[in-house]
Amino acid sequence: MATPFALDTTIAVVTPENISFEYQLAGPFRRLPAFLIDFVVRWVAILAIVLLIWITGGLISISQLGPFMLATTFLVYFIISWFYGTLMETYFNGRTVGKWACGLRAIDIDGRPISGKRALIRNLLRVADLMPLAAVSSVAPDVPPAFMIPTGMVGLTTMICTRRMQRLGDLAAGTMVIVDERSWRLPVVKVDDPRVPALASFFPGDHRVSRSMARTLAIYAERRHYLTPARRREVARHLTDPLVEKFEFRRDIDPDLLMYALYYKTFLADPSDQAPDLGPLAGYSPLRRDENKPQGLALETKVGQTEGIGSTQTAPLRTNPLKANPRATGAAQRSATTKHSASSAVGSKQKRSGETE
Amino acid sequence: MNPAKLLEKRRDQWSELESLCDAMESRGQTDKAGGAHHQGAEGIARFSTLYRSACADLALADAYQLPPGTVTYLHRLVARSHNQLYRANKFEPNRWTDVLFREAPQQIFADACVRWAAVIFFGLFAMSLFLGRNENMFPDFAQRMVGTQQLEQMEEMYEQPLNGSLDHYVQMSGFYIQHNTGIGLSCFASGILIIPCLFNLAYNAVVLGTVFGYMARPDVTGGDNFYHFVTAHGPFELTAIVLAAGAGLRLGVGLFSTGGLTRIESLRESAMKAVPVMAASAMLFIGAAFTEGFLSPSPAPYVIKAMWAVLSSGLISFYFVVLGFPRDETLLKRIEPAGEFSDAT
Repeated sequence: MATPFALDTTIAVVTPENISFEYQLAGPFRRLPAFLIDFVVRWVAILAIVLLIWITGGLISISQLGPFMLATTFLVYFIISWFYGTLMETYFNGRTVGKWACGLRAIDIDGRPISGKRALIRNLLRVADLMPLAAVSSVAPDVPPAFMIPTGMVGLTTMICTRRMQRLGDLAAGTMVIVDERSWRLPVVKVDDPRVPALASFFPGDHRVSRSMARTLAIYAERRHYLTPARRREVARHLTDPLVEKFEFRRDIDPDLLMYALYYKTFLADPSDQAPDLGPLAGYSPLRRDENKPQGLALETKVGQTEGIGSTQTAPLRTNPLKANPRATGAAQRSATTKHSASSAVGSKQKRSGETE
Repeated sequence: MNPAKLLEKRRDQWSELESLCDAMESRGQTDKAGGAHHQGAEGIARFSTLYRSACADLALADAYQLPPGTVTYLHRLVARSHNQLYRANKFEPNRWTDVLFREAPQQIFADACVRWAAVIFFGLFAMSLFLGRNENMFPDFAQRMVGTQQLEQMEEMYEQPLNGSLDHYVQMSGFYIQHNTGIGLSCFASGILIIPCLFNLAYNAVVLGTVFGYMARPDVTGGDNFYHFVTAHGPFELTAIVLAAGAGLRLGVGLFSTGGLTRIESLRESAMKAVPVMAASAMLFIGAAFTEGFLSPSPAPYVIKAMWAVLSSGLISFYFVVLGFPRDETLLKRIEPAGEFSDAT
């Protein structure tokens, strides 16, 4: 099986449907709680069954029953302590109570469900995995020598050393423990910036992004919320600079916004978009050949409003709604406050700042 | 079609599959999912249809240029449904006779590990029996090996002639199943590390041999009663220990003697081979436990016990040699699976 991500904790599985999907592997720290829960459950089950036997035996009170009850007690102890895991994993689809509580499941390394024989091997060999036993009596002499604590070093070591985080029992049985997926929300990226669809309409209609670019765009759109505006621009610039050259956008256009617009165009926009609603960009063109045309005042106030209602874009919109501003937000606020007072001279101001950038 | 439209279109089916998964996880049936077309066989059919289409969506995710988040979601959805659709194989009790009476003896006969375990166990057993018996040449051997206290306890235990009752028999059988089979199973499990298994085997051989030898001394009280007790179940129990250790050693040796397979694959193959041997061993342990529980402590005459010992030895020999002798069909079967190994993993 190909393992392209040597350090990752996922494993690819090819199904009979001939598709490959990924499982997340469970490491020692997910499995330890499951083991401890199972340990407790095992003893509770033994005690409960034995108690039940003795109570019913006491109620029936036939004297011949005593030895049979004792024999059954031994058998219950033997079966539960040795075959609890085997039986649970076989009849509950690779899960014990502890695994169910921790959301784990034991499966075949090929992704098929575990079989009874494999479950038997991996559960019997737990004895070897829990070795070496630490004898408490060597430290504290008054503890009886029978009292040994399993350290589990063998299992831990093999789990660390193997690709699928298998303990010895798993290796011998050909099984692995995976995280059992429960419900998972489908992540959707929503575009809430009204400038994005408008800007997207400035890409030529026949522009198709490459496959790797599409993936990059999707990852960018999902992750950009975790980045500061400055970082977004820094990351996006590498990809948008060729685009700016190719489609002749203005050089002061915000790279983050351009990436977002391209994402919108690739993933969300309707390809038969006949008349794009320019919205806040009405009358404004991001293209370089339109750079010297005068802009209307209406555009300015509209953009100011969208900025006010909390769009994700933080670039100052005083002059150019799509322009990047590498300076701090403090400066942006200051310029935003000065905007309305100096609104009469917007046209000339806009041109000037475009040149100074 | 752009990805957003596609997602909108497929989302209904995906969420239906999710709700079916929920129902399968809690009940193992799709009935609880609600819809009229989710009852019984129809529900299963619906589930597999949805699963296949989710598989197809995942396979085409790259071509559709689905966003990575959606691909992750699909991976998880498919993994989840896969776990529900392909469920664990139950044990097949009708195959157990085949495992016990065909696979196990064949494997035991062919397995060098079982032979080595037998040589180690019975060799050490015979040696310590001789050393423990011979008081003149090795006066302290028994005391040093087993301990004076334990030997005195043994003598005390067998001072009285055997006289058990039914109460005693039943509970002791249960105890022996639990205790001795447990020892056998842990001996098997530690075989993967080889040394603990060998130690366990040798320790048991030496202690048992010494006790047998000590009790055989003419001046020891209770010697007759001791042999009265152990004769009947001896063949079963000693063979069972050897088989358990042999099966365990097969695991450990599989790590070194790989026979051309990768180390891990060889370990897996050996584990599959060792299971029938361990099953045979467990069967012998249980047979020994019933003998030890019912026949051995009974006041039945020694002849009967000795006859049972002879009979059980004969049965074991028949099992190993006659059932275990390589047959042509097994030779053929052994050649056939070669193709299987090469394409796995």
